Amino acid sequence: MTYTLHTAHLYGDLMNTYGDIGNILAMRYYAKAVDATIDVDLVSLDDAFDADQYDFVLFGGGQDYEQTIVSKDLQTKKAALTAYIENGGPFLAICGGFQMLGHYYIGAQGEKIPGIGALDHYTLSQDNNRFIGNITIKNAETDQTYYGFENHNGMTFLGEGERPLGKVLQGNGNNGKDATEGVIYKNTFGSYFHGPILARNEALAKRILKLSLQRKYPDADFSALDQLNEDLTKNVVVKP
Amino acid sequence: MSINSTLATWTGKSAYWFLHTFRGGGSSLPGKLALKLDPAILKHLAKNYDVIVITGTNGKTLTTALTVKVLREQYPDILTNPSGSNMKQGIVTTFLTAPKAHQKPLAVLEVDEANVIMVTKYITPKAFVFTNIFRDQMDRYGEIYTTYKKILDGVALAPEATIIANGDLPLFHSKKLPNPILYYGFDYQADRDQQAPANTDGLLCPNCQHILRYHSRTYSNMGKYYCPHCGFERPQLTWKLNALTTMTPTSSDFEINGQPMHLNIGGQYNIYNALAAFAVGRFMDVPAKKIAHALSENDEQVFGRQEIFHVGDKDVTLVLVKNPVGLNQVIQMISTDDRPFSFAALLNANYADGIDTSWIWDGDFEQLLQLDIPAFISGGERYRDITFRLKVAGVAPDDLTIIPDLTEMTAAIQKLPTKQVYVVATYTAMLQLRKQLASQGIIDGGMA
Repeated sequence: MTYTLHTAHLYGDLMNTYGDIGNILAMRYYAKAVDATIDVDLVSLDDAFDADQYDFVLFGGGQDYEQTIVSKDLQTKKAALTAYIENGGPFLAICGGFQMLGHYYIGAQGEKIPGIGALDHYTLSQDNNRFIGNITIKNAETDQTYYGFENHNGMTFLGEGERPLGKVLQGNGNNGKDATEGVIYKNTFGSYFHGPILARNEALAKRILKLSLQRKYPDADFSALDQLNEDLTKNVVVKP
Repeated sequence: MSINSTLATWTGKSAYWFLHTFRGGGSSLPGKLALKLDPAILKHLAKNYDVIVITGTNGKTLTTALTVKVLREQYPDILTNPSGSNMKQGIVTTFLTAPKAHQKPLAVLEVDEANVIMVTKYITPKAFVFTNIFRDQMDRYGEIYTTYKKILDGVALAPEATIIANGDLPLFHSKKLPNPILYYGFDYQADRDQQAPANTDGLLCPNCQHILRYHSRTYSNMGKYYCPHCGFERPQLTWKLNALTTMTPTSSDFEINGQPMHLNIGGQYNIYNALAAFAVGRFMDVPAKKIAHALSENDEQVFGRQEIFHVGDKDVTLVLVKNPVGLNQVIQMISTDDRPFSFAALLNANYADGIDTSWIWDGDFEQLLQLDIPAFISGGERYRDITFRLKVAGVAPDDLTIIPDLTEMTAAIQKLPTKQVYVVATYTAMLQLRKQLASQGIIDGGMA
């Protein structure tokens, strides 16, 4: 392979609850088309995060208990992660990972659990309710429609300088109130989408892959990704 | 006996008689009617029984079937609930329709995790069996800790009942309980220090919240675990798998506490189920030799979990999958087949399947690519998701047939290049396929 993206899977052994690893698998699949590969380091409790070493970061969602442990350890990586994000490092944060990049979220026992405040959102909790179900959103810049599955108690409110990943067409999104879903800030993407989001949404997978590759290899041409169209209907047997 | 419970019993029994005689079925309605008249009916119905409750995410049905088989060696009167009737109404129906017992009878009940408390409110079991707790249809039950808490809420009403638990699962050693606890587990491998793979659930030490390590691992987060930070470790095992001699897709040979055993069911996960049945057998004083005899005779197919049928000249094995741990174990079982075979995966996302399909990405479909499988089928209502999953795992598009409409499955199976075919399917996909097979006379249409 000519090109390599070094990826950090943040707390992959603790924040891995809904097939989040599929985001990396899907990116790796599309990367093959432009002769690129993706290698992965697990960066977990007590490990240092070296911002200069990585070209892409995935931070998934976890169970309540695991997330409280991660939240404490995450503070030791706060400066490095914030620097990476501010520097335009490509980052995908899902569910709990998305919440923890913000200022805080409210835990299962009503306690306020700190994030790292790298992004300007915060997350409240609902009483005895979760947003569970299929969700569809539309991304404003590209007019692309994204499909996913949401399952969260948290209600996230975006701050200044944050724009949503999409406008909710069906489902609840960040908080069930303002029709926003997810976040885009610089090259950081946050979302409540499981599915996983990049496995269900080819266009977004290629968008994040392309910007990650282009950032590391500014002179290379990755436009082949735009022509790629995953044909999931090849060899389909239909009723005669 | 109160007037309410007498009336409730009579109503439930009549409803069962009616349904059974005129409709050929009736599994939860009689219980439902009886419960309406007397919510505490179980207390009355089960009062003479010694009850063993089997619960957990995976393996409940087979563990229950094997346990009944083992106990029958020694106890003539054993009541058990049919597969799937593991919630309150089904359990009430089971007691309502029990034949009259002569001695002090035993009941071996498969109980849904969230329904343990519904049972212990009215019955004090003699023992609980905890098979395992894995992530399963989280949209319904929540996280592994929540599920375990639901079980323990039920157990709290029976603090003297013995718990027989899978000792290889760290979660079952995480809480101090008043009950006596006995553990079973795998102990045949030499120690080799190792970590679980990154996308494994439940790896935090319950004492000090560091990541657990393993001297040996079976699958998922199960094995001879220990915490390098605080010394927390797997408890002493009362029943140990001390040798694992052979595994094929349809049988296993192994030793438990030195007793050689042969099981006519494949898959490492079923050895755990046999271990649990062995443990209950010994707990109830069935001699080890008799247990070995009972298990070696077992060749029943438990509905849906693993079913073999024939389509033209193809031998098809249908296996239910519902979560990544179960899927990985099925793939492990398939990998012990030395004959050439094809592989089909059918995915639906209705309520009974779990409405979130994300879990397929935690399944290790990549392992299939090590097995020289010449042809694949992907299908079901969510065929796009499972098709892409297989392609990402490395299945070549030319080796893959996509069947969105399961009425086309039998035709597609007949075109496969191998005699052996494995089909894994989620619950409603399995029902749809069975319906199709029944309409073509390939299988009996009766449903358990």
